[in-house]
Amino acid sequence: MPATILLAISLTDFIWLVVGLFIMFSVLSGVVLSLTWLERKLLGRLQLRLGPTRTGPMGILQPMADALKLILKEDIIPASSEKVLFWVAPIIVVVSAFMIWVTIPGSQNAVIQNLDMGLFYIIAFSVVGILGLVLAGWGSANKYGTLGGLRAAAQLISYEIPIIMVAISVGILAQSLDMREIVSQQDDYIFMLVQPLGLVIFFIAGLAEVGRTPFDIYFAESEIVGGPFVEYSGAHWSVFFLAEYINTFAIAALVVILFFGGWSGPWLSGDWGIVWFLFKVYMVIMVIFWVRGTFPRLRIDQLMAFAWKVMVPLSFLSVVMTAVYKFYEWPAWSLTLMSSAGLLVVGYLIYKRMTGPTKLVAEVRSRQEALEASRRASAPAGGN
Amino acid sequence: MFNSLKGMFVTLVSTMNGLRAPVTRQYPDSGNLLMQKHDEPTPVKDRFMGFPSLTWDDEVGEPFCTSCMVCIRQCPTQCMTSVMKDNPLHEDGRSSRRKIVDSFEINLNRCILCGICVEVCNFDAIVMTHEHEMSTFSRNGDRVDLPALLEIGHKFQKETDWIPPTKRVKKGAESEAAKASIEASSEVSAEASAGASAEAESP
Amino acid sequence: MTQMPDNPVANAEPVEMLLNMGPQHPSTHGVFRMVLWVDGEKIVDVVPHIGYLHRGSEKLCEGEQYNQVITLFDRMDYIANFNNEHLYCRAVEKLMGLEVSERSEYIRVILCELNRIASHMLFIATMGLDAGAMTPSMFCFRGRERIQGLFESVSGARMMHNYFRIGGLKEDVPEDFVQQVREVLDLVKKDTEESDKLLSFNEIFLARLKNIAVMTAEDAIDYGLTGPCLRASGVDYDVRKAAPYSVYDRFDFDVPIGLDGDCWDRYYLRVQEVYQSIRIVEQALDQLPEGDVTSSLGRRLLRPPAGEVYVRAENPRGELGVYLVSDGTDKPYRIKVRPPSFCNLSALRHMLRDSWIADSVVILGALDIVLGEVDR
Repeated sequence: MPATILLAISLTDFIWLVVGLFIMFSVLSGVVLSLTWLERKLLGRLQLRLGPTRTGPMGILQPMADALKLILKEDIIPASSEKVLFWVAPIIVVVSAFMIWVTIPGSQNAVIQNLDMGLFYIIAFSVVGILGLVLAGWGSANKYGTLGGLRAAAQLISYEIPIIMVAISVGILAQSLDMREIVSQQDDYIFMLVQPLGLVIFFIAGLAEVGRTPFDIYFAESEIVGGPFVEYSGAHWSVFFLAEYINTFAIAALVVILFFGGWSGPWLSGDWGIVWFLFKVYMVIMVIFWVRGTFPRLRIDQLMAFAWKVMVPLSFLSVVMTAVYKFYEWPAWSLTLMSSAGLLVVGYLIYKRMTGPTKLVAEVRSRQEALEASRRASAPAGGN
Repeated sequence: MFNSLKGMFVTLVSTMNGLRAPVTRQYPDSGNLLMQKHDEPTPVKDRFMGFPSLTWDDEVGEPFCTSCMVCIRQCPTQCMTSVMKDNPLHEDGRSSRRKIVDSFEINLNRCILCGICVEVCNFDAIVMTHEHEMSTFSRNGDRVDLPALLEIGHKFQKETDWIPPTKRVKKGAESEAAKASIEASSEVSAEASAGASAEAESP
Repeated sequence: MTQMPDNPVANAEPVEMLLNMGPQHPSTHGVFRMVLWVDGEKIVDVVPHIGYLHRGSEKLCEGEQYNQVITLFDRMDYIANFNNEHLYCRAVEKLMGLEVSERSEYIRVILCELNRIASHMLFIATMGLDAGAMTPSMFCFRGRERIQGLFESVSGARMMHNYFRIGGLKEDVPEDFVQQVREVLDLVKKDTEESDKLLSFNEIFLARLKNIAVMTAEDAIDYGLTGPCLRASGVDYDVRKAAPYSVYDRFDFDVPIGLDGDCWDRYYLRVQEVYQSIRIVEQALDQLPEGDVTSSLGRRLLRPPAGEVYVRAENPRGELGVYLVSDGTDKPYRIKVRPPSFCNLSALRHMLRDSWIADSVVILGALDIVLGEVDR
């Protein structure tokens, strides 16, 4: 077989590869469907309403209905759009989303192809998706689209750096970029305990990478009506939708693997660790949805300021701390201490950055009271 | 930082509330593809102003409406038309209404549900029913004629045990009169007893 | 910095990009069109287009009798219906010199203040949505539903009530009105507090709204802003205190004043006004007298004497004014409405200078306009 000769692997390995890819594709699609359902139900209950209820018991078939609708919808392609770019953009975005998953392990053996440089490969491929968004915006021949595409590019590129730096610091801790190795290094203590700062930075930057509230301004419906996705309808749009949820799942999986011990847990180990893995990932995803239901969104310049002025320096700090700890072979709790101190710095900087709210509350109330008092003093009995 | 975390706590509490008791009322029924449907009609209040309809006088067996056209003149959107005729029941002596409505049409798509027609009617003939679900498949399907109006009105009368407003006022006046007479008699008896006690005390 | 053309649409020499936030847009609060000239993300100029909701209300008033005009006033500012009805009834009563019974005055004030609360809750909901938070809108609309259920039990309709009459009310309130209102007030207070805790001092919300579109007090007065937009700039002017009408001078309430004149002040001011309105309603319920509420006119046809009158009131959006000219017939000769949203909107260009596209949505939201009022 020419493929096997090219790839220099045996026929059975090739067949296993294809089967594995097929399984990965279907599992991911199934997960994405479940995520859309979970998001709508959870956000519904958060807002004191039911989510979908009519499509199947408890709305279980809603994702099916969504998928069916999107496929059956008419694909409107604007006449003045760049046809090639218009078609290529969603493909780039979704292919890069799937390529990340080739090397993320679900348990000790549930991985398509484990690489020694797994983490490096994942980060490299997550950058490819950004190109797809810019092409989507430009190829739409729509001003909202162009704006959105450029905003997306700026945001996603800026938030890559904290992710890379935190990944490096975890790599330093685990002495390897191999995902399975990182998980097995967390047998004694999960990395969240020694790197709380890294967890927070990775989570926030990951939210920004995926484009979730509070960082979803580039396709904010209330502002530029869809951003790079504004001219996409039907099956084209469903590809972007798929890619967004796969990326969310990937970020959550990375958080779990890097900081929460991947698939380790009591009673189930080895191949059954995938149950723990899925459980932890879904917990992280529910926190992501919770954040979506609570916060408004940041403006693009505030987002970028936050990235470059707060996230990047702290991520560099995290690398330096981890390196120092490893080099001098200090005990583990020292890293916890340094990291927590860094986290408090994060909290303080965010506090100062976002206009110092608790101080503001006190200030507003005291000024209001002073104003009321002066009005009462200047307008006695008669004025009311 | 802390206000954001407080905000997350607020949404956590509301998720717990939402899981226990969401405020959604599923309309028109709480069904889905596989399970039983429970009808959940809209609970309207007593004074709800739905589409207007004509009332039926059960005692005499004819509509209250005499087609005097006051409501038609007062309607801000001019959505009603009507024609009057001599009342055959009056000639027989069974009804006190000399004229009666012959045809009446309301264009419910134009009606703004303001209730002015009900206010100005002298004959308690038109009411704002509780009907609010009147989508039809044809373009002129909401131009309702006399039989349909009487049917909707009669249904409203049955559902709400409707008493004509003029009779209501009379009932109120009667009960006032009854109260006044009771008070008058109690005053008389109070005077009598006071007089008796005064006489008893005086000598 | 390029020279800004005087009439950017006529002398169309585009140096910057033209971005049209058209009549159909999820955030323009109705059918309102903003044509923005942007340089990258900065707004250089804006040309607002209104009139998409013009229904000729003022002209229609000339063809309707005085009691029918109330239905038109309901529909102008369709969020604060009772306030509009109240003002129109006051205008005709002033023209005719009619006395209104105490009980009707009190009930009018209670319903107007409840409508103010409902209007401000809608404002909080849409402000949250403009900034990107979906949850406060659900909480606030639940509070609004409670108030509208109360309105339904009083007047028969959730929105277009047609309940106030010239000289009084259509009919008396139901027997359990006082108890219902007290229940609703408790629940509405909790709903507002929930949204307040979630949104008002949230760091991201503050970052979106603080120091955006700062209006100084002089500018605010020059542009004719009224209502919360004016008070946010520090000007202590509320028609209910400056020229008290109805029975407002019998209540003890504060008027929140802003300190910085930015969008956050305009938002927080309205939240505080909700609490003050709750205070007013509680006092009114305590003081509610017995009496008759039907109009002394009865069912007579209204023919006010010839003359003209101007009255104003504090609507949730600002100062609403009605100029009524009567020529002695049963239909008004001319009614001119001074809508607060229209005058507030005139300051849009001043507010949008040197701001970002993302801010334009927030600024428009903080002005709290209702297109039914702007276009009539």
